Amino acid sequence: MTASPNGREAPTLTGMADAVLSEVAARLADFAASGATAVIELTSMPLTVQDRAALDEKLGRGEVSAEVSAAGRSEVWETAFAGVWFVRHYGEGGRISSESIEITRVPLLLESHPDDARAAARRLAELCAQAQTHTGATPGSDGA
Amino acid sequence: MVTPQTLGEILEGRGVSRRAFLKYSSYLSALMALPPSMAPAMAQGLAAARRQSVIWLSFQECTGCTESITRSMSPTLESLIFDTISLDYHHTLQAASGEAAEHAREKAMADNKGKYVVVVDGSVPLKDGGLYSTIAGVSNLKMLQDTCKDALAVISVGTCAAFGGIPKANPNPTGAVGIDEIIKDKPVINIPGCPPIPEAMTGSVAYLVAFGKIPELDHLKRPKAFFGDSIHDRCYRRPYYERGEFAEGFDDDGARKGYCLYKVGCKGPVTYNACATLKWNGGVSFPIQSGHGCLGCSEPDFWDQGGFYRPLSTSMPGMGMALAGAAAVGAALGVGAALTARKHQQAYIREQAAKGDEK
Repeated sequence: MTASPNGREAPTLTGMADAVLSEVAARLADFAASGATAVIELTSMPLTVQDRAALDEKLGRGEVSAEVSAAGRSEVWETAFAGVWFVRHYGEGGRISSESIEITRVPLLLESHPDDARAAARRLAELCAQAQTHTGATPGSDGA
Repeated sequence: MVTPQTLGEILEGRGVSRRAFLKYSSYLSALMALPPSMAPAMAQGLAAARRQSVIWLSFQECTGCTESITRSMSPTLESLIFDTISLDYHHTLQAASGEAAEHAREKAMADNKGKYVVVVDGSVPLKDGGLYSTIAGVSNLKMLQDTCKDALAVISVGTCAAFGGIPKANPNPTGAVGIDEIIKDKPVINIPGCPPIPEAMTGSVAYLVAFGKIPELDHLKRPKAFFGDSIHDRCYRRPYYERGEFAEGFDDDGARKGYCLYKVGCKGPVTYNACATLKWNGGVSFPIQSGHGCLGCSEPDFWDQGGFYRPLSTSMPGMGMALAGAAAVGAALGVGAALTARKHQQAYIREQAAKGDEK
């Protein structure tokens, strides 16, 4: 395989995909045995386009996929190997701003944060209160 | 009077969830090569922090550094950094001018005594009493000293502020120096580059806000997270270098095939910066990817290193032949590994070397 004239493509598979795959396998074995979670950051690794494609192909896609809209778009999916998740964040213009492989039951990004839940409880209570106020102001009860 | 809010509360009011903080922290952790497990703690730290007061001073500079940092602004992830700081004074960006502008600086200093961060771009001239650059009739030297007196930390943004940069280039007519040659009693973080990568600036500020301390620095006071690896170590053209395949000119067959640019003057082997991984213009490209060697702009005195198009082994008078020789011979002589990714890469290089030996 050769590089494109402007050098945009790396010359070949570098072996990085296999190295990452070995690490995933070791971490997954740990997780299965002890429940120890792990995160492997891919963003700063010099993965070539071919490396990335090879990694994607080997890990495959599993049963779960999700899209998160928080400060831009993120995609989360479980690979064909249960407990191995791919988390990919997109930045401006749809470029990948960071991505990682998480070995866990469910990535933290998908969980509701307790602070958000508290804020949501307040908002929902206000909504209920408004609804009650509205009900209390109906013509039937007015002046009773 | 309303109690000052945390960033989490401020953003919550605008419908930004803690997931956004987590996402931003994951992004920063990746950029700064922090252990991924630190991302949740960083998210918690950012959400609980108050907005950081920042006073930005511009001295002998071209405003390219400000251009660079404002280019990191987007309606998505990176813009969160601009919610974490309160930019109380910045010549170019603030609406106020004249006395009102200087009052804004003085008020921020008084209101946040001991807590504000001073960001400086540009070098400071010392020759002839510093008369070569003044603002509102005050020399850069005096304004720097006065403003830094009660600062928490100082961030020198760009090679001019960090090392004197182009104003300091031979023959240095104004006696320009970098900030850390003047400010000795405060922590100084150098974020060099001409200009610096926006994420290196915003990431360092976010780290300071989230953890309340400065990130780990190298011997030139640069955050190791962004300046820990050489351009060469992380360059996608490195495999060509290993195989001895070089472009001999900018229009030869090697250049067209994307070979290593070492022989046409690339300073990647002795330049520490994150261009090869973070890239520029929203991750589009970086100089080597566009077919031009690295100029070494994040290193001291890069302007005076013997020519941008001369190979390292024949230039770099201040570098010493040992380093130039090591660069010429290649990775077999070793350029220390630092990060996890590097381990993968080096394992591969060893594997390839072993295969070569077997042949």
